[in-house]
Amino acid sequence: MATSLDASEAKVAEHKRPDRPTAMEHATPWLFVLPSVLLLLAVGLYPIGYTFVISFHNWTLGQAEPSFTALSNYVEVLTDGAFLDAVSRTMLLLAITLPIQLALGLGIALLLHTHFNKWLRTILQVVLVIPIAITPAVLGLLVQVMFDNQFGIINHALASIGIQGVNWLGDTTAAYTTVCIAQIWQWTPFAALVISASLATVPSEIEEAALLETSRWWPRFRRVLLPYLWPGITAVLVFQTAFVIKQFGMVYSIQKGGPGSATQLVMLEIERTAFRGFDIGAAAAQSILMLVLSILLAQTYIKLFYREAA
Amino acid sequence: MTAIKYSALAIAALATATTANTAQAWSLEEAAKPYEGTTITVVGLERPSYDAAQRLTSQFEKKTGINVEWTTFPYESSLKAQTLNFVSRSQQFDLILTDVVWPVTFVESGWVQPLSHFTNDEELVNPDLDLDDFVDIWRAAFSVDGELYGLPFDSYSGLLYYNKKMLKEAGFDGPPETWAELKDVYGPKLTDRDAGQYAFALQSAKGETQTADSFTRMLWPFGARYFDADAEEMTLTSDAAKRGIQYREDLAQYMPDGIVADNHSQVVQAMGQGRVAMITEWSAFYTTLKDSKIGDDLGIAVEPKGPDGRYSAFGGFAYMVSAQVPEARQDAGWLFAQWLTSKRMARPLIREGAVVARESANSDPEIQEEFPYLEPMLETWKTSSVPDWRPQLRCYPKFSELVSDWGTRIQLGDVSVDEGLQGMDKRLQRYMDQTDCWDTVNQPRKYMDAM
Repeated sequence: MATSLDASEAKVAEHKRPDRPTAMEHATPWLFVLPSVLLLLAVGLYPIGYTFVISFHNWTLGQAEPSFTALSNYVEVLTDGAFLDAVSRTMLLLAITLPIQLALGLGIALLLHTHFNKWLRTILQVVLVIPIAITPAVLGLLVQVMFDNQFGIINHALASIGIQGVNWLGDTTAAYTTVCIAQIWQWTPFAALVISASLATVPSEIEEAALLETSRWWPRFRRVLLPYLWPGITAVLVFQTAFVIKQFGMVYSIQKGGPGSATQLVMLEIERTAFRGFDIGAAAAQSILMLVLSILLAQTYIKLFYREAA
Repeated sequence: MTAIKYSALAIAALATATTANTAQAWSLEEAAKPYEGTTITVVGLERPSYDAAQRLTSQFEKKTGINVEWTTFPYESSLKAQTLNFVSRSQQFDLILTDVVWPVTFVESGWVQPLSHFTNDEELVNPDLDLDDFVDIWRAAFSVDGELYGLPFDSYSGLLYYNKKMLKEAGFDGPPETWAELKDVYGPKLTDRDAGQYAFALQSAKGETQTADSFTRMLWPFGARYFDADAEEMTLTSDAAKRGIQYREDLAQYMPDGIVADNHSQVVQAMGQGRVAMITEWSAFYTTLKDSKIGDDLGIAVEPKGPDGRYSAFGGFAYMVSAQVPEARQDAGWLFAQWLTSKRMARPLIREGAVVARESANSDPEIQEEFPYLEPMLETWKTSSVPDWRPQLRCYPKFSELVSDWGTRIQLGDVSVDEGLQGMDKRLQRYMDQTDCWDTVNQPRKYMDAM
């Protein structure tokens, strides 16, 4: 009886179903994603496209209408010492902070993975979010206060152990070091959380089997854990690179790119070109060059480091 | 032509005053009646003059029924905010605040109204406006092609502030008369690095502070100029420029470490804490220094003389009326600017901590006794200031950025004085040639002859 009913229902359903999907059925999935696509086009692709077009124009804000100048902005930017210096400073910041953040992040993640119970781990993971959640401008001001030459807690702490205070914000090397410290402090937790999430994907039975094989930590880490970590590490590399390249708020709050140009990172230089010199064409060319650099670096990371665990 | 325009403006003002006297006495209340309920937005800075103005604004609002909203910015953001307001035609600001180096940009772009637009309207002009009471240099500074565009407010001169007690303890009766004396005589005696005490501090933070306060300050007294506008040539590789900037580098040994990062407030703070014996700073900072730890030990004098004479720093602001906002808001904005910068308001504003360009108030002996910076400030404006101390160009923002960039590199020791000035000169020449900048040079000094 049941079989006969099912067959009858199926027959009715088959009868009702048209041979081909209607136009509306075709369009439905597209209609669902359309708002997101439009939003993406409006806030993502259009500004990039517009910036690209403007980068081929001579446009000084408030002085004249944009006029086409082919590649002259790119030539000017690539021969401009201030911009190239700012790019070098940014890349140096990346080269210094990225390995440290990765190493510390990995260390913290492994500690969380092995040494704490579930509740403590959860609490520590929440604590790790705090530095990431602080607004860059507020973080910059905190750094400014903490590293103040005269009244800062850092020099006070150094003095208490007999070390002479450092002019953290007035000396060029010290100011750059301060920015490195702040960058590492803010973004190491991000690396820790991402790697921590990767560690959580390692099946416990594999870890237990590895422990039966050997009690030595390094082979277990290298052969068992690391293959699961590569996607997370690649994500950390890509994101941290983007964070360093677009770093603006914190550094601006600390010393506005100073002393002199010591902490003038590339985003501060682009802002300076666009809104202090009002040379929008050159600033657009600088932005496009940095976009290209970011994409190249991301592709390189993916090519070198990304691999799925077998 | 310039003389004719100024005479015409004066005659118009006089005629308006005469007409008003014969017909009916002008009053702010009557003039503002058509604009009652109108709201105007005024740009201000985070500086003492604007705090003072805001404290007194309610008086204007009560009299006129015009609502005044202040939007204040740090100096560094004010040009950006106002330029974006104009370019986007957002009509956000009715009264525009211009530094002495921005009038050409605002005027050539057609963003602001000339004052004659209002002074020719007898209903709007206060017969007691008396433009001639603004010190000549201020009227010149805000004139483009002989036409006055701004009412001066928050008007500075560079002054030498010194700590009387520190100088006395070092065996000096008064401040140095020349820059050479400051470095060679006062510098060594007043500097004790181990004790954290320094003879001098020169605010040099990158940006306009570097361009104006640190770099330009050392050009003029040593006989150097940025360019020769007639020949359309930069002149920063001259011997005079090298002497001036080399002097700055030599003077650094008597300044705190990291001076290249210090802006106005940090230098003022260093002096206020008694760590620095002398600074050359804007007159606007008198109140801050007077209220600091050194208090009565604060001495004030004109800036020192250089080999080419005394050329003190010149800077300050004026209110201009936006040409982009509706006529009623323009008129209401004008009434407020006229009231704020009037002779009548000058004394209350000074007492509230503002600096103004009104000669009658600044030369009033009673006020001068209360505020000892007024006498040297007035003397500076009359004897040792030039209105285009910093060049007035339409492309000044980028020009200033290039000066600041190279000036900072010199100060940091990244390049020698010679290399830095060569690099700056070459870069600026290229920039000025590539743009139409030579055509937009405004030389307000020439308007002063007509005053």
